[in-house]
Amino acid sequence: MSPAPGAPVIVVEDLAIGYGERIVQQDLNFEVRRGEVFVILGGSGSGKSSLLKVMIGLSPPLRGRILFDGADIVTAQGPERLALLKKFGVMYQSGALFGSMTLLENVRLPLDEFTGLELEERHLVALTKLNQVGLLEAARRMPSELSGGMQKRAGIARAMALDPGILFLDEPSAGLDPITSAGLDRLIQELSRAFGITFVVVTHELQSIFTIADRCIMLDAKRKTIIAEGKPAELRDQSRDPTVRQFFRRQAAPEAERGTG
Amino acid sequence: MVRPVPPGHEVAVEVREGPSGGAVLSLSGALDVHSAAGARLAIAARLRERTFQKMDVDASGIEHGDASGMVILYELAHGRFTPGVLPSVRGLRPELEKLLGAFPPPAMTEGARDRPKRHSVPLEVGVATVGLGRDVVEVVRFLGRQTMALGGIFRAPRRIRIGELARVFEKAGANAFGIVSLISLLTGLIIAFEAAQPLKQFGAQIYIANMIGLVMVRELGPIMTAIVFAGRSSSAFAAELGTMKVNEELDALRTMGLDPSSFLVIQRVLAGTLAMPLLTAYSMAMGILGGVIVTKLMGFPLALIWHQLSSALGLSDILFGLIKAVVFGTVVAGLGCYQGVHTRQGPSAVGDSATRAVVASILMIIVIDAVFSVVAYFLHV
Repeated sequence: MSPAPGAPVIVVEDLAIGYGERIVQQDLNFEVRRGEVFVILGGSGSGKSSLLKVMIGLSPPLRGRILFDGADIVTAQGPERLALLKKFGVMYQSGALFGSMTLLENVRLPLDEFTGLELEERHLVALTKLNQVGLLEAARRMPSELSGGMQKRAGIARAMALDPGILFLDEPSAGLDPITSAGLDRLIQELSRAFGITFVVVTHELQSIFTIADRCIMLDAKRKTIIAEGKPAELRDQSRDPTVRQFFRRQAAPEAERGTG
Repeated sequence: MVRPVPPGHEVAVEVREGPSGGAVLSLSGALDVHSAAGARLAIAARLRERTFQKMDVDASGIEHGDASGMVILYELAHGRFTPGVLPSVRGLRPELEKLLGAFPPPAMTEGARDRPKRHSVPLEVGVATVGLGRDVVEVVRFLGRQTMALGGIFRAPRRIRIGELARVFEKAGANAFGIVSLISLLTGLIIAFEAAQPLKQFGAQIYIANMIGLVMVRELGPIMTAIVFAGRSSSAFAAELGTMKVNEELDALRTMGLDPSSFLVIQRVLAGTLAMPLLTAYSMAMGILGGVIVTKLMGFPLALIWHQLSSALGLSDILFGLIKAVVFGTVVAGLGCYQGVHTRQGPSAVGDSATRAVVASILMIIVIDAVFSVVAYFLHV
């Protein structure tokens, strides 16, 4: 029923993204394998978040295909698209929790809408998801009463409500202190190992990348395509591309290149 | 209602005699988000047929599952289907065992599901009343500060940011001409038509001109314009400043040593104070034009209508209406800005501020109008 571990669950083929006439990234070809933590990285303005939006079907690509278990989210319509959307959950950069609902109600919402479970059972599943991200105690609290890190963890719990096989995380470490950020990294690793969830993470936090990523691709704003693909440590140690080396060694761009990306 | 189960997600439920006299509930297939609701019904139906002292759950046939499915096993294991009997779940695949193990024990979930309790009604009424009193004091203080600041600006006009003032004036004033024209003209027409029939009975239709003149200049011109201003501009000020507050732009101004009041609020209050009398004068003219059109249609000559109007309206009436408009402009713009800079946190905060700005503005328009009427009555204005 589910693909074997290591089998591709998302295949991106000849993808180009942009706005109107402006191309942000093109010739994107990569695959995400089941059970891995796949990181999309790149400098500011390289189109990481735009790529994520296209991959989850929020924005149309300029061209190309994005296949989830063989079904293209770009062309899917109606029930087929809904079935595809249930294959993944998304944690947005700000958490995007519904401010008028408690955490429990936020996590319960997809269960209310898409399952025939009794209220008590939906409560239990939602509380379990909150427990998995360490927020059981905060179930009754409103999102405005939570710290940034807690909001992101609650966003992960809501994304996991229907047990999708894939979780997309947009900048999970952004705006968090190193301790909270490390806690979130550990949570991602635990969920990946314990439940076999596939993660697609957009980030540029080096520490997080080295901690969580099994594989990564690096986007470049100037060349408008993928400039590196592989394991982060290998890219850091072996890449001959100056941009990749600068990124992984946290070096400033040479004077002539500044202000271009 | 149980939703249809997609192919490949069915679960089979069977109850058989166990080796030691108990029962064995065996589940096979997929126990997931699609099949869980149907599984619950099937289990309840099978267990209703007979009673047991002991029961085991054979989960070895479950090939696929998720948390929504495992909640059924959790409920089984905690005796929710079999009061007094706690079945043991056996044979579950390791990956599903992990999912089932993630459920918190019942003691941990007690009380976690309820919304925070609401306070008693008397307490809420009391808190709301005290809050309302505080709000009124705050609003009066805020409006007082703005009025003082306005006075200060007249003494030092260089502090006015003319570009910002012009932009707000255009949005709140010039851009409102269309809607004010339409509303005022139609109001004049409607009142004239409505008054024509009763006045005809007394042969007094020519007095429509007198009535429209007085009503539009003293009351409806200022009030209608102020309500349009509240709906268009007070809410816009609240939303604009509220969004700036949420985006920490007001904090940024403060840390730059700039006072948001003089940087943002004064321009808006000044624009309101200047735009309102101009809009009101225009509204008065449009309303009167509506009345004149109706009176002319009834066959009265323009010279007679003009004579009636000029005999009914004095300069004091026009000044009375325009002074009211100035006060409305200051108060309505001030209230919009007050709600904007006092926007709270949260996704609905900006919307709440805009709503409160409009409601408070309309309330204050009526209150101020009543005060003007009483004062005018005693001063014979």
